[in-house]
Amino acid sequence: MTSPTRNPLRAGLHMPRTPDPCALVVFGATGDLTARKLVPALYNLARERLLPMGFSVVGFARRDWSDEQFRAAMKDGVSKFSREPLQDEIWESFARDLHYVSSDFADPAGYRRLGERLTKQDQAHGAGGNRLFYLATQPTAYAEIAQNLKEAELSRVADGSWTRLVVEKPFGRDLESARKLDRSLGAVFRERQIFRIDHYLGKETVQNIIVFRFGNGIFEPIWNRRYVDNVQVSVGETVGVEGRGGYYEESGALRDMVQNHLMQVLALVAMEPVASFTGDAVRDEKAKVFHAIMPIEDIAGSTVRAQYTAGAVLGEQVPGYRQEPGVAPDSRIETYVALKLTVENWRWAGVPFYLRVGKRLPKRATEVAITFKTPPLQLFRQMGSEGPTPNLLVLRIQPDEGISLRFGAKVPGTRSDVRPVNMDFRYGTSFGVEPPEAYERLLLDAMLGDSTLFTRWDGVEAAWELLTPVLDAWASGVSPLRFYEAGSWGPDEARTLMERDGREWHRM
Amino acid sequence: MAPDVAAGIERLDDRAIAVDPGAIEGEFTKIWRATSGAASDESSIRLRVLNFVAFAYEAAGANRFREVMRALPQRYPCRGILAVAAPGQRQLDASIAAGFWRSSGGARHICSEEVQLVGGAAQEPELASAVLALLVPELPVVAWLMDAPDFGGRMSREILETADRAFFDTAGQVDTAAVFGHVLRAGAGREVELCDFAWGRIATWRELVAQFFDGDEGLRQLSKIQSIEIDGGGARLSSESLLLAGWLVSRLGLSLAYLAPSGGRIEATLYDGTRGVTLKVARGADGGAAPVREVRIRTGTALLSVGIHPESGHMHVREQREGGLSRRTVASPRGDDASAIAAALDDRADPTIYAEALGSALALLAAPAPDA
Ligand SMILES: NC(=O)c1ccc[n+]([C@@H]2O[C@H](COP(=O)([O-])OP(=O)(O)OC[C@H]3O[C@@H](n4cnc5c(N)ncnc54)[C@H](OP(=O)(O)O)[C@@H]3O)[C@@H](O)[C@H]2O)c1
Repeated sequence: MTSPTRNPLRAGLHMPRTPDPCALVVFGATGDLTARKLVPALYNLARERLLPMGFSVVGFARRDWSDEQFRAAMKDGVSKFSREPLQDEIWESFARDLHYVSSDFADPAGYRRLGERLTKQDQAHGAGGNRLFYLATQPTAYAEIAQNLKEAELSRVADGSWTRLVVEKPFGRDLESARKLDRSLGAVFRERQIFRIDHYLGKETVQNIIVFRFGNGIFEPIWNRRYVDNVQVSVGETVGVEGRGGYYEESGALRDMVQNHLMQVLALVAMEPVASFTGDAVRDEKAKVFHAIMPIEDIAGSTVRAQYTAGAVLGEQVPGYRQEPGVAPDSRIETYVALKLTVENWRWAGVPFYLRVGKRLPKRATEVAITFKTPPLQLFRQMGSEGPTPNLLVLRIQPDEGISLRFGAKVPGTRSDVRPVNMDFRYGTSFGVEPPEAYERLLLDAMLGDSTLFTRWDGVEAAWELLTPVLDAWASGVSPLRFYEAGSWGPDEARTLMERDGREWHRM
Repeated sequence: MAPDVAAGIERLDDRAIAVDPGAIEGEFTKIWRATSGAASDESSIRLRVLNFVAFAYEAAGANRFREVMRALPQRYPCRGILAVAAPGQRQLDASIAAGFWRSSGGARHICSEEVQLVGGAAQEPELASAVLALLVPELPVVAWLMDAPDFGGRMSREILETADRAFFDTAGQVDTAAVFGHVLRAGAGREVELCDFAWGRIATWRELVAQFFDGDEGLRQLSKIQSIEIDGGGARLSSESLLLAGWLVSRLGLSLAYLAPSGGRIEATLYDGTRGVTLKVARGADGGAAPVREVRIRTGTALLSVGIHPESGHMHVREQREGGLSRRTVASPRGDDASAIAAALDDRADPTIYAEALGSALALLAAPAPDA
């Protein structure tokens, strides 16, 4: 028997392959993200047999922890945050391969120690020199870490192995800083080695937008300017800044949500069909959408920014943004954004895309609402009945994931009264199974080298190109900061934005 | 990354009803309407993604069916139809029920419609016709033959003709070789996809064995395999350990060169075109419940061992390669009927792989392959 080129035992199995043996190095391993998301996701992958033999984790952070202390902290994280409960036997087996290196990001000696650790593990496990570096720390440290990796020769790719870098959001705080960061990372890693996380893309229901559009034959033919009147992407949060006031003061809703998550959802809704789901196909199509979005010329007329004041949400009194811990009493950071975009391509010319996101709104919901044009003939009005309401298709992303379609139906009786009815399909209550956490999918994909669900530099850059002028204009006083009471649907000006176009926000 | 399904569905009480498809459909419409909670100007979708038809010769089959209907519709909202041809029964009775979920707001969401039909042994034709009339049109039909899969009765034949997938269990039968033969014959020339629970039970074993041979280094080991040993539990050679052996033999393209006379175990020499590979399939000395307890594969330079912990059910993997020793413990999926069915439905199975494994297993039992 000569060595085959494919594993014949894989045929017909659930997974086409597991990732190559590799080491995951987490920079910022003592932080919140590692304990809350990353290690619980890895534990679940390990328990479901999705991690390769010879997989190990090396945590890297400043705190003076031993391997044992790191394991204990991670065990605590898994007990609290894992989707599946912690089982000791599986934990013990997983934890054997958790290691820790204590060092400041600036200290070259730390990277040398890291290198020694990795070499030792490669020898013990036959991990073959494959490395996934995960930047789970403040973005100001990204460039320094990348540079130090290079100097310690840890970014060098040995023959037949791979090295990848996973970067958390935010990627820059405006166009210039994003470009600078891209240049720093680009000096060490190639674009195809860089995996930028947008955890929205790891959500099943966001991926469902693609399935819904391209897995069904009936929607694509009407998914265009001929039939669609407008598209609304809305994210409502009931929470405030949840103790992260300091972080939020540096970002605001436009940077925190619109530049990344909302733009990504918009691109999935607006993009052209893809020929495959591999490699860059989806990202190529998304990039075309980003480039077709027109710069916002009338920033005062097309954008609204606002901040919540004290009020009541879900039956509880809550303080205003300026009273939150870590927030300046005269802060001008926006917690709400509404804006109008146009996508000037063959499919969407003339169809406005409205985006809105806000904290302390009455309801937690993320959804895309597509309003169709009303039928050309007001047939039933002539017969004395009310005119038809436009068809509305809502893709709900969270919570209560699902799809609803509003259409007109005749009211029983002799008159031709048309009444809007909603047909409602909910994944949550129909398929009552918890989907895996976004980070499980994203970590696995990064190990497999599949970058489909990660953002690419051209998309990130295009989003910043579009939104940096908005940030600049706001900073110079264009479109003044408005206020809305916590528990309301946002400022009046957001409603006016729609009314000027003869439209209204879809009720979430 | 398919999660296991867990029972979480509440059930509306059974209501007796005439064996009349029109009346049964009418009753379901009422149930949907009453539980949808929709305002008068809203309609709700009846979400059903498949017909799930179970057939048993024992009244006890009803309990297993209900257990499945308490969990499967979480992932596969469906119409479930149970047909029982029980020896003592004289007339044909029907009852219906529905399963629902409660969302966080307390609203009830129907996720299953259930029909139970119980008739006498002589009433198989009537049962079969009632089942056909109750299938939701256009939806796939997934069938479950709860008893020995001999595919001889009227209902089984009907199922093979109608169903898209048919579940059954080759494990626990007195004459495994005969059962394997029935299954091979039943599948030949038919569209239906045959889903053996015993095959599903070794999915994790197959996955963990396959992982060992991933990557360049793993592929090199394939051509160096020297011996395969499979230990099973139970009173006789389990269907699962035979299928696992058959799978390895067929996927690795091995042919049978020598088969030692059995006696509750298999010892064979296989040939890969250039070298011999020894295969031993045995029943563990201390019995134990797990149908497969350990698999060991030795190559010239490496050793893989996969075993199951008798109490926790976790699986232990040990790999000894030139690079060193690696060990890990992973969870094995739940073994209940609903999880097994859901897992098989989730997978894009390749039925030829099962059929080839079955054929090789039959050869290892020194049984003649049935004529196609
Ligand atoms: N937390 C979340 O849920 C979440 C969600 C989405 C995105 N993110 C993003 O993920 C990243 C990490 O967030 P986080 O919440 O985990 O932050 P965090 O809790 O503040 O953790 C920061 C980590 O970086 C380490 N660190 C900071 N400066 C260091 C230095 N000079 N040398 C060595 N280690 C240093 C800290 O180590 P010591 O404490 O030991 O000094 C700590 O492990 C951020 O980019 C954030 O935007 C977080």
